[in-house]
Amino acid sequence: MAPRAAQIQPTASSAVETLWKAYNDGTPNRLKFIDSFLFFLMLSGIVQFVYCVLVSSFPYNAFLAGFGSTVGQFVLTASLRSQVNPDNKDEFKEVSPERAFADFALGSIVLHFFVYNFLG
Amino acid sequence: MLAALLSTLVLALSAQAATLKLQSPKLVVTDSMGTQLRSDSFSLSKQVAEAVELGAKDILKMTFQVLDQETGNGVQPHQTFLRFYDEKTNEEGIQPVRVTPGGKAKFELNLSKPPLSLPPTPNGDPLKVSLIIGTSQYDPISVELFDLVLPKSQPAPENPLESTFHVLPEIHHTFRADNKMPPQPISFAFIGIVLAPWAILLSLWSQVVPKPSRLFSPSILPFVASLGAFEGLLFWYWVDLKLGQVLLYGFMLSLPTFFAGKTALASIGSQRLGRK
Repeated sequence: MAPRAAQIQPTASSAVETLWKAYNDGTPNRLKFIDSFLFFLMLSGIVQFVYCVLVSSFPYNAFLAGFGSTVGQFVLTASLRSQVNPDNKDEFKEVSPERAFADFALGSIVLHFFVYNFLG
Repeated sequence: MLAALLSTLVLALSAQAATLKLQSPKLVVTDSMGTQLRSDSFSLSKQVAEAVELGAKDILKMTFQVLDQETGNGVQPHQTFLRFYDEKTNEEGIQPVRVTPGGKAKFELNLSKPPLSLPPTPNGDPLKVSLIIGTSQYDPISVELFDLVLPKSQPAPENPLESTFHVLPEIHHTFRADNKMPPQPISFAFIGIVLAPWAILLSLWSQVVPKPSRLFSPSILPFVASLGAFEGLLFWYWVDLKLGQVLLYGFMLSLPTFFAGKTALASIGSQRLGRK
């Protein structure tokens, strides 16, 4: 049994490696740029949530503003990414990348308005 | 003038009003077996000297006839009451007395079945018994007849609303304890942790940043600048502005942003399509 488990282990890790390699090679730089921003938003939101749970939720409005801004920005950016992805061109025939960016800008401004409102 | 008018009015009233009198007023006290314990007469002019005492099962009977003072005819008053009043506790009870059309009245107070309106006598203090007769065209009568000593009773029950007529206890507000800032080392540590994603972001971006070939071209720069102005406006809102101001300025800023965005994105789009 032991050798079989040893066989599975490298296979799984090599799958991850293949995935990472395919992503690195096959993704345009512009999408990677967006992806790093998404990754940053995710990390930032997690850190704020951990702070809220472990240390203190005071001041609560600031936590809501910060956490809400990361979540909202993540949603907006993710939808921007899916709309400008060349692979999804057939899904969004009516939405040009420029239109997607205009939506993203408008949505971000509205989101930031609410976030600053919460920040107090 | 007014006083003269009033006095004539009073005179006229007193001249018109006739007076009533009682004929053969009598009170009898018997015990439960019917044995007569006391028999006395009473009158409107003078109070009975000796207080009337009743035992726990005794019966007080009062009889009289109401007559017109002048004609001597029997009169049935509109209202005839006996009032039992305790001066010390200020408790009182009013019992109506039935009078026949001929003016004959009979009242019975049976202590084995005391009426509800009888005031309580927890200290055995005497009750003042007065007769009240009111009827039109006759002078009203309200005369104390005698003192009545009843056996001691339970004290008056407290009114269920009694407690609502007192000052309520003072309200003490309790507030939640003030929020505490976490200790400074923890705050500084988390400042570092929260800023760390920025370093990751910048390092990632430095590797994959696309070339902003036309960021500063005159067709695109206004759009970028107005987006930056929007962020600046919102930051200013956080620092200083009121809601109405930020909405006004935001509206004013939105028009140039809209047109700048339209030209910028159109130029990018045409370049993208032309490049294809």
